[in-house]
Amino acid sequence: MSDGAPLLELSGVAKHFGGLYALSGLDMYVAEGEIVSVIGPNGAGKSTMFNVVTGLYPPDDGDVRFQGDSIVGLAPNRITRLGIARTFQTVHLFPNMTVLENAMVGQHCRAKSGVFAAVIRHPGMRREEERIRDRAKASLGFFGSRLAGYREDQPAFALSYANRRRLEMARALATDPVMICLDEPTAGMNPRETLELRDHIVRMRDELHLTVLVIEHDMRVVKGVSDRVIALDYGRKIAEGTYEEVANNPQVIEAYLGTKAVV
Amino acid sequence: MGAITRRSIVRGGAIGGIAAIYIALVGLYTKFADLELVGEQVTLGRVLIMAPGLVAAYTVTRPRIVAGERRSVPFGSGVAAASRTGVITGAVFAAAVWFADWFGVDRIREMFVSVSEVLIDFLTFGKGVPAGLPILVGACVVGGAIGGLARTAPANVRVPLSVGLIAVLLLGMLQRIVPIIFVELGFEADWLYSPSTGGLTWLGAAGIFAVAAGADVMWSRGGGRARERVRTSVREAPAARLGLLVAILGVLAILPLLLGTVISEVLGQVMVYVLLGIGLNIVVGYAGLLDLGYVAFFAFGAYSTAVLTGAFLNTTTGAAEPALSADLNFYIAVWLVALMAAGVGLLIGAPVLRLRGDYLAIVTLGLGEIVSIITASRWAQPLIGGPQGMRGVTKAEIGPLNFQDNPQHFYYLALAFVLLALFVSWRLAGSRVGRAWNAMREDEQVAEAMGVSTIKFKLLAFAMGGAIGSVGGALFAVNLGSLTPASFEIFVSITALAVVILGGLGSLPGVVVGALVLIGLPGLLREFEEYRLLIYGGSLVAIMVLRPQGLVPNIRRSRELHAEEVEQDAWGKDVVGEAEAVAAVLPGGALGVENEDLE
Repeated sequence: MSDGAPLLELSGVAKHFGGLYALSGLDMYVAEGEIVSVIGPNGAGKSTMFNVVTGLYPPDDGDVRFQGDSIVGLAPNRITRLGIARTFQTVHLFPNMTVLENAMVGQHCRAKSGVFAAVIRHPGMRREEERIRDRAKASLGFFGSRLAGYREDQPAFALSYANRRRLEMARALATDPVMICLDEPTAGMNPRETLELRDHIVRMRDELHLTVLVIEHDMRVVKGVSDRVIALDYGRKIAEGTYEEVANNPQVIEAYLGTKAVV
Repeated sequence: MGAITRRSIVRGGAIGGIAAIYIALVGLYTKFADLELVGEQVTLGRVLIMAPGLVAAYTVTRPRIVAGERRSVPFGSGVAAASRTGVITGAVFAAAVWFADWFGVDRIREMFVSVSEVLIDFLTFGKGVPAGLPILVGACVVGGAIGGLARTAPANVRVPLSVGLIAVLLLGMLQRIVPIIFVELGFEADWLYSPSTGGLTWLGAAGIFAVAAGADVMWSRGGGRARERVRTSVREAPAARLGLLVAILGVLAILPLLLGTVISEVLGQVMVYVLLGIGLNIVVGYAGLLDLGYVAFFAFGAYSTAVLTGAFLNTTTGAAEPALSADLNFYIAVWLVALMAAGVGLLIGAPVLRLRGDYLAIVTLGLGEIVSIITASRWAQPLIGGPQGMRGVTKAEIGPLNFQDNPQHFYYLALAFVLLALFVSWRLAGSRVGRAWNAMREDEQVAEAMGVSTIKFKLLAFAMGGAIGSVGGALFAVNLGSLTPASFEIFVSITALAVVILGGLGSLPGVVVGALVLIGLPGLLREFEEYRLLIYGGSLVAIMVLRPQGLVPNIRRSRELHAEEVEQDAWGKDVVGEAEAVAAVLPGGALGVENEDLE
């Protein structure tokens, strides 16, 4: 599937909190243009893996390479600038900023005007501000009319739950990423919203040409979107392959359901 | 009906009584016993006798929430309950007075110096203990009834009445200021303020009451429409906006000429604190970094201005040159000072980058203290004069303008810097920088993950806040001409923070209003000077309870504090809670379903 070096590559990544090994020697890769799903029971280390990739936690061991270069030790904002955007497992918006402002914060790392530009407001700064606004609106527009129109000026906390999840994704898209990491995007959504979101994930790849790394529990979504599925348990990769291969893997079934009782 | 229980009346009344005893113990009654507000009978002391009962009754008759519905107390029963509250307050208060008299005033006086025969005499209206006590209770009942009226009477009655009464009280208290303005403008003031008592005449009070109440009636009839018209025209027509701006600037320009030197001097002090407030607002209001050591920038600005403009050290033998000194013009030096203060901001910001909330507050408090101590230390004496301080900061004069002796001239200098700082701060708030600060304040970790360099923007906030605060210090130095360490103590940090919080965090108009209230009012009401801290504390507590978003809130901040009241938000929270519960159950379940048909 991948030609040449993978876009993202984790080799031997370990992360522990005190005595708890959240990740121990994780190897995995994501190739450009792929949708990779990560599954695994609670506490398998999925979100820790995201936090290591996006720089929130430094790994204790191993290397994370993005577009061929190691990103270990970079501040999260630098990693975002390199092109990895993310959402959070529990929604983390800027609740008292408007919907549009939330998305505009996403464009922050693609602009550079500072204090002097802000005070003088020269034409270059105004053009940049205009561009930030357009780009933010475009990423809100990815979700159709859900976040557009009058909603742009509403504070983020006034949105419905599903729209908050969408706004979080729009904000991530507004950072102009190469790869987007979605942490349980359908958690708490109803079946119809889940279906809609499944299409959105596919469209992120097909229309926005993004690489997508997604943690997901809803197996219909995993089945529907994944080019490849990686299963984690106890901080290790226990299976990898197509959805069918992973779903039939005895280790995966055991991880989820426990050992089959011998009757 | 029945919303006000006997319990809440007794409790409210008793608290009112305790408040009255407190006011008596700190000496407010005796101090203001002879401060006539209207005529000879209405003194501030007597108003204060009624105040505890009034406030207690006003609180007791507040609307109750019954079964999720806000219910106002009906007029009749409200006033009845309010009067009963006043009875309780009066009874508690009178009992205390009686006890004091029985126990012996002199024995209490050993601990509470304000308790004296004069106090007892004042509280019993000159009639002695048994005879005067019913009058005292009566005064409290009247206070309570007024409180009840102010809360439960129909709106078209109580609002104009309250506005009128407040206007009379306020102008009565400003009796040393307002006549001066009249004289300055060449008007006769004797019909309004009695030359013998100093307070308002009855005629004057009636006139003020009529004007204020009438204005309120007019405003409630047509004010909403007028405001709406102004607002839409300001929003839609740039010319109207420009006109409004020019009008405001015009008023600001002629203000000191109208108000005379006394008020101009107060306004000058207010503007120094407006500058401090604008600077601190960037750090605390925009970026959400609680800085309790802001005096550091104030001191840095003042002393570095002095050093750069060639001021002298005070010594026992006269004056001496500082160890390091430049002889720059103030208008060059002030930019250097701001630039260096930004550097100091980076220095202070760097060690606290990883700290948040309480920890940040404590460390900045310590850093501010360090600067305060340095200004007073022998170690820094060769440079900035140590305990003796410096004098001769004179390099700001332009031609005939004198900023130390003429408060009106200083007003214009300060106004220029305040307007500049307001402009810079306003522009920053609406830019990419302001957005980054906002995002950081809302959720630091997420802002970082969205590509905002939190290190850079925290340092930037400290640097900008420091630069603006140091200009406040520079102006302070120019105004006074001499500096002593006593001006640079922790009280400055606390006052600046109080200005920002009282006005509303993150709100520029709020900073101006906060400084006017906290610096301007005490400056005008010199009688209250020794109770300044009591009033600060009291007003801050009142603000936190009644209006936590501040007097002129930033829209976003007030949303934050009222977020819980938004129905949809509560609904959203429930869904999140549910979602997490479902997500926790889901993994096994979802795969289990799939596995069934796989097996």
